Amino acid sequence: MTNSTRIRRLFETPILLVALMGLVALIAVFGDPTITRVTVQALIAVVFVAGLSLFSGNSGVMSFGHVGFMAIGAYTTAYLTIPVNLKSSMFSDLPESLGFLATIHAPFPIAVLVGGLAAAVLALVTAPIMARLGGLQAGIATLALLVIVFTVLNSWTDVTRGSSSMIGLPKSTTIWWAAGIAALVIVIAWAYKKSRSGLQLQASREDYLAATASGIAVGRHRVFAWVLSSIPVGFAGALYAGFFTTFNSQTFFLSLTFSFIVMIVLGGYLSLSGAVIGALGVSVLQEILRRFQDGAFTGGISLPAGIADLILAAVLLFVLVKAPLGLMGTRELRLFRKRSIGSAS
Amino acid sequence: MILQIIVDMVGLGATYALLTIGIALLFGILGLMNFAYGEIIMIGAFAMYLFKDYPWFVGVLAAVVFAVVVSVLTERLAFRPLRNADPVTLMIASFAVSLALQSVMRMTVLPRTQGVPPQPFLTESITVFGIRVTVLQIVTLVLCGVLLGGLALLMKKTPLGVQLRASAENFQVAKSLGVKGSFVIMSAFAIAGVMAAASGVILVARQGAVSAEMGLTPLLIGIVGAVVGGMSNLKGAALGGLLLGMGTGLLEATLPTDLIAFRDAFLYSAVMVVLVIRPQGLLSGTKVRTS
Repeated sequence: MTNSTRIRRLFETPILLVALMGLVALIAVFGDPTITRVTVQALIAVVFVAGLSLFSGNSGVMSFGHVGFMAIGAYTTAYLTIPVNLKSSMFSDLPESLGFLATIHAPFPIAVLVGGLAAAVLALVTAPIMARLGGLQAGIATLALLVIVFTVLNSWTDVTRGSSSMIGLPKSTTIWWAAGIAALVIVIAWAYKKSRSGLQLQASREDYLAATASGIAVGRHRVFAWVLSSIPVGFAGALYAGFFTTFNSQTFFLSLTFSFIVMIVLGGYLSLSGAVIGALGVSVLQEILRRFQDGAFTGGISLPAGIADLILAAVLLFVLVKAPLGLMGTRELRLFRKRSIGSAS
Repeated sequence: MILQIIVDMVGLGATYALLTIGIALLFGILGLMNFAYGEIIMIGAFAMYLFKDYPWFVGVLAAVVFAVVVSVLTERLAFRPLRNADPVTLMIASFAVSLALQSVMRMTVLPRTQGVPPQPFLTESITVFGIRVTVLQIVTLVLCGVLLGGLALLMKKTPLGVQLRASAENFQVAKSLGVKGSFVIMSAFAIAGVMAAASGVILVARQGAVSAEMGLTPLLIGIVGAVVGGMSNLKGAALGGLLLGMGTGLLEATLPTDLIAFRDAFLYSAVMVVLVIRPQGLLSGTKVRTS
């Protein structure tokens, strides 16, 4: 392989994916408001799923707990961006030690950044657990993490308002914010995938024992990927909060987790391109299904609520049976398909 | 006072043990962590709602039939094509089955929560040595005892039980020695259905209501119990469930009131710790299959 092919192969996929984000953003700019809404939602999903794929794709460990990180990002954004005078009436029962939450204020970009870092703090706390677990045990542990985050958000009503909604967030997530952060996360995820740590983690995914026997400190790389992946997911939460401007503790729980799982499994969780395409595809599919449920294609007769979920579940089962590795498998988007056969990464 | 707490703890523990067994049974044989189990419980509970105007045994019978049929159907339609998949794939698939069942129920017969008035005799209580025991608690205890005992007998004494245990030990070898794989797995799903129906019946009697989402809480309890007790080992799982129920009862009785809402957070933190320290479960001697 010549030097120029190597460089091309290294930069081809991220450039294509970033270009895809730009294309999607352009569609939103020239589309009507509904299309813009769907596009922003899809881009937020891309941020989340690319972040999740940074951990799951490289380590082969599926996480059901990342929505917990997203919740952290969203709540952080809420504390930082809700106008101060509104906050003092919303959080009248704040405990003494957390009183500063009612007075702090920051512009949206800072809130996004802090949201990502706050998620990373939670990831750091749980990292020792993730370093030691794999397979199904890790799946259950991450699910337990999700339940813990949910329980705390739902029950600590003085601070989080529990199941009553957070309100008054300024609408800050624009299409360019969403597309920009999606592109940034894609570049980070790709860079990690091609980094030394990423490659060693992938080796442990293929064969844990062989990797440890070759002197790879699997736990250390898992911890690194776990913490690194929580940051974009925190961003996704911040973007979500800034876009929908209202949410509550129920928002970030199992049904959201399920739709992200569908995205990453459908696209192919071993491939970054797969994750991105899955996120875009399933977001569009969900919107179509929602319209279908409201009767857009059946002459205005609305169908019973739940049919959208049912079809989504059926699609997921079908993919799991027919193509367990998803649409992309381990392939990545490339311009020149033929040359890359033989040595597909 | 202490006796009262212990009685309540044992009642809760028995219910939890029942929940745990249904999950552990399928995990042991298939490596399937079945998230659709909660929905099977919901189906059983729904049967109780459907036949609430008939004598109680009709409802119970219907609950068992409904739950077993749906449980076996999920195996046939969703899990059989995935028989050789890895546990995480199976777990994701069961997520999908769970969502599908919930959506179907919400679309058709259970769009909102429905009340089921409990049988009047269940709510009566008797007082022995100053301890108040409701008839429901006694019924729960007896039901759990009979079912767990029955399952133990089935596993120990009958040919089916031997085949089930052999399959749990090593499915491939069991199959090559003449165990009919599909039949054994189907029976496991049927047995899990019976357990789910019993849990559903108890749950309806306790809550007095049925809804499409009611399966989540018992499901999570079952999983936690199974993890704590040791997933591939039925005895360990049952003990784990019992312990979890008693622990929950104890937490409820002793936690300061403003912390009770956070009970689940404590519980799940404990689960993570158990997973790290003893991934094979607190009470299990054997090594569990990892990934």
